Amino acid sequence: MQELVDRLVADGLVPGGIPLWACYLAAMLLFGGIVVFVFILPIAGITTWVERRVAGRIQSRIGPNRTGPAGFLQWLADGIKSVLKEDIVPSAADVPLFKLAPYVVITGFVAAFVVVPFGGPLIIADLNVGILYLTAVTALVVVGILMAGWASNNKWSLLGGIRSAAQIVSYEIPAGLSFLPVVMLAGTLSMQGIIRHQGWAPWTWHVFDNPFTFLAFFIFFVSALAEGNRTPFDLPEAESELVMGFATEYSGLRNLLFFMAEWGNLYIIGAVVTTLFLGGWQIPLALAEHPVPRTVLQFALFFAKAYFWVFVAVWLRWTLPRIRVDQMMVMCWKYLVPLAFVNLMGTAVWMVLFPAGLGGVRVLLCLCAAGLLGVFARRVVFHIRRARLTRQDLSFNPLSTARVIG
Amino acid sequence: MGLGTYLRNIKDAALTIGDGLAVTFSHLVRKPYTVQYPDRLPDGVRVQDTLPFRYRGILEVDLEICTACLACERACPIDCIVIDAEKDKAAGGLVMTRFDIDMAKCMYCGLCSEPCPTGAIHHTPEFEGADYSLESLVRKFVKTPVLAYKPKKGGETDPEIAPILERGMRYVNEFASADAEG
Amino acid sequence: MSLTGFEVEIQREVDGGLSTEDMTLSMGPQHPSTHGVLRFVVRADGEVMKEAIPDIGYLHRSIEKIAEKVGWHGFMPYTDRVDYVAAMFCNQGWAMAGERLAGIEVPKRSEYCRVIAAEFNRIQSHLLSVGSMAMDIGAYTPFTHALREREYINDLIEELCGARLTFNYMRIGGVAWDIPPGWREKALAYVERFEPLIDEYNALISYNKIYTERLGNVAVITAQEAIEYNLVGPNLRGSGVRYDVRRDEPYSVYPELDFDIPVGTGEMGTVGDCFDRYIVRMREMKESCKILRQCLQGLPPGPVIAKVARNFKPPAGDCYVRVESARGDMGWYVVSDGTAFPHRCKIRTGSFAAMSIIQKVSRNLMIADLIAVIASFDLVAPEIDR
Repeated sequence: MQELVDRLVADGLVPGGIPLWACYLAAMLLFGGIVVFVFILPIAGITTWVERRVAGRIQSRIGPNRTGPAGFLQWLADGIKSVLKEDIVPSAADVPLFKLAPYVVITGFVAAFVVVPFGGPLIIADLNVGILYLTAVTALVVVGILMAGWASNNKWSLLGGIRSAAQIVSYEIPAGLSFLPVVMLAGTLSMQGIIRHQGWAPWTWHVFDNPFTFLAFFIFFVSALAEGNRTPFDLPEAESELVMGFATEYSGLRNLLFFMAEWGNLYIIGAVVTTLFLGGWQIPLALAEHPVPRTVLQFALFFAKAYFWVFVAVWLRWTLPRIRVDQMMVMCWKYLVPLAFVNLMGTAVWMVLFPAGLGGVRVLLCLCAAGLLGVFARRVVFHIRRARLTRQDLSFNPLSTARVIG
Repeated sequence: MGLGTYLRNIKDAALTIGDGLAVTFSHLVRKPYTVQYPDRLPDGVRVQDTLPFRYRGILEVDLEICTACLACERACPIDCIVIDAEKDKAAGGLVMTRFDIDMAKCMYCGLCSEPCPTGAIHHTPEFEGADYSLESLVRKFVKTPVLAYKPKKGGETDPEIAPILERGMRYVNEFASADAEG
Repeated sequence: MSLTGFEVEIQREVDGGLSTEDMTLSMGPQHPSTHGVLRFVVRADGEVMKEAIPDIGYLHRSIEKIAEKVGWHGFMPYTDRVDYVAAMFCNQGWAMAGERLAGIEVPKRSEYCRVIAAEFNRIQSHLLSVGSMAMDIGAYTPFTHALREREYINDLIEELCGARLTFNYMRIGGVAWDIPPGWREKALAYVERFEPLIDEYNALISYNKIYTERLGNVAVITAQEAIEYNLVGPNLRGSGVRYDVRRDEPYSVYPELDFDIPVGTGEMGTVGDCFDRYIVRMREMKESCKILRQCLQGLPPGPVIAKVARNFKPPAGDCYVRVESARGDMGWYVVSDGTAFPHRCKIRTGSFAAMSIIQKVSRNLMIADLIAVIASFDLVAPEIDR
């Protein structure tokens, strides 16, 4: 926001006489408010709609399709219902902790949005420790979950809370280690700085810069999923075992807050992955000269990229089973952490050997990624052929409610 | 664990997860299988009409062709059929004063419709019988005492009863009998 | 500490001045993943269980006693409710018991109809079993795919006998309804459609690394233990014991049919782990498809029910009938005293035996593993409690 305010003052659009710090503060608060109420709340809700419809199609059924066009208002109805529900506090629960826990979780989650870029100069505060701040603040969620698990006075919730604490704290390490190569490449921790170091073309993105950052991308995505309590890492709320894990005893608005934090977190995962590895909001300069349409395009591109990863997280959730606690720990400490260290060292060595990077390797990695996608598409076609599906059985319309007859 | 096993684990994980993702993605481009019932069926289609003829829904008794033989009452394992029939010389046969089926008890087994000689008692494709009170689930078929049906030799000639009898016999003939040829 | 009649010994460990206590959890009768109304009293040290004690009886409906009241023909719908997931086998067990007591010869065509209905029911039951197992492990999609396929079989059987779950299809002496016109072609078309979908299901979940890690080497039951604890069906075959009532004590037309008996081979762990029991079920579905093709193509003409009196009174005596149900060897011990009402009917089910080994097998497993174990045994509570 600082940058935007500076530009507005230079253009003379801000009335004189107001001290600069007050302008900054007002801009940040205003944008923060817009982000929370116009962006986070609807996005958390709309992601539930997307999730339910995608889950429906994956499972050969339709998702919600009656409340509003194509079921689009289902999340609003669910939200209103949750708010109006009876607020049950178990009699033997630790009441202050019980009531405080959802707010701690929501604080940790919303505070992360301070450094999430939206496109161009649109960012609440471009801290020069951006990504480090993000990692630190999302760890606040652990405290909230532990509080919820303990204060519910329910052994199952306690198990869920403890599992979650172990999980989130453990997966902070590979997440942190795998964004370090990117930080080394960009030379800065600030989110906008990392984006500016990349370009709009895929071969200028950090993910294709060298094979080590390519691997770091996958490690980061997996660790971020684990931190967000998403399947395959959703042990803390393993429905089949613990009913709802740490959130079992919660009802009404408090429950809604937990869920909002989870679904909103998906967007943060997508946004951070896009920022660090996929070029952020960079668009070809030739596309728009005037700042307003340029910012709009940048926002649209960033949102599309981030939301694609939300879709991938949803897709993974409905495909994969759950990992057990000890296997999750093994995966973190024996697989992800060593690989993340290898990446870190490898990127350091690469940067020493090729200070400006190798254009050939970049293009090669792009082609590799395209090749992987091609192999994947062929496998999809193989499955469709093996299930002997005809053209009548297929429908490429995501909102289709057409039915297979017979 | 050796380096070979370690790398093999990573490779297996990546390949099998990728295969699973491919299957799931292939489902994303398929049409859903859901029948949107009841209010989004094509015009004029009732789900009940799409059910097969042998479907064992709610029981119905066509009193016009009931012979008051009480075979259904005897066959029911759960005693949900109650029939009162007395010989009445003046009326010229059995007179039924009560034919109640307690649908709350009925387990839709079909054992009552099997021995019926005319197919008077049969299952219908109706399945939406939910109601607010338990008493309303008792289906009372006799409003005024009625004379039991006597099957005529040489087929039924009454044009009102003949179609009912035909449908009833069609239902009963669905059941296998010991002397039929496949 | 006592929990409704259980004496659960809580162990206190004193370790360097810090005393820790075991946690007693109740995986209560209402739980998303105990298959039916079951309860397990779990004594755990954090995630690792010391013991899981099963508590059954929540679904006891005195079905065996009801047999003595409703008579031979009237009991057939009740047999559906003994195991409502695999009801055809229960029907078949009771029908065969009555026929054996009275010495009734069942027509050939009705035996074929019975096998067709039974194998379809086996596929139905296994689909539900593998689907719920995947769901308990955390993958919700395979469950919906399995149920989608199960719906097709439901529709087929609805056309055959009028009901989708509690069939009441068989009678003492044969079956109640012959195969309707056009049904054979539909059934064959379905079998053709279904077989490749088993491979798709395997690609989606069975060989998924996370799934095989969850199930491999968990709750290994050796062949000797399996026999000692009376396990039957896929539970027994998963431990490598190639015993199947259809092959070893054949009944009906199974001697004329060509099919294999899949056993667990320890491909993702050890022989007799949860994965083996699971993959045996997947393979059995393929074998059922084979059987169905042979039966549907080789249906002989003829009547489908023998002449049996409405007032059925078999001579006094007893008999023990075994059927290979989806859950294993289901035993029907029926005692007749010459009247129209059976004197005693005792049903021996595979799930009841499987409950007995859970306490032993659950030592030093994690709570998440207990879910996998329960699912791998394919327990259905109505069969346990009757």
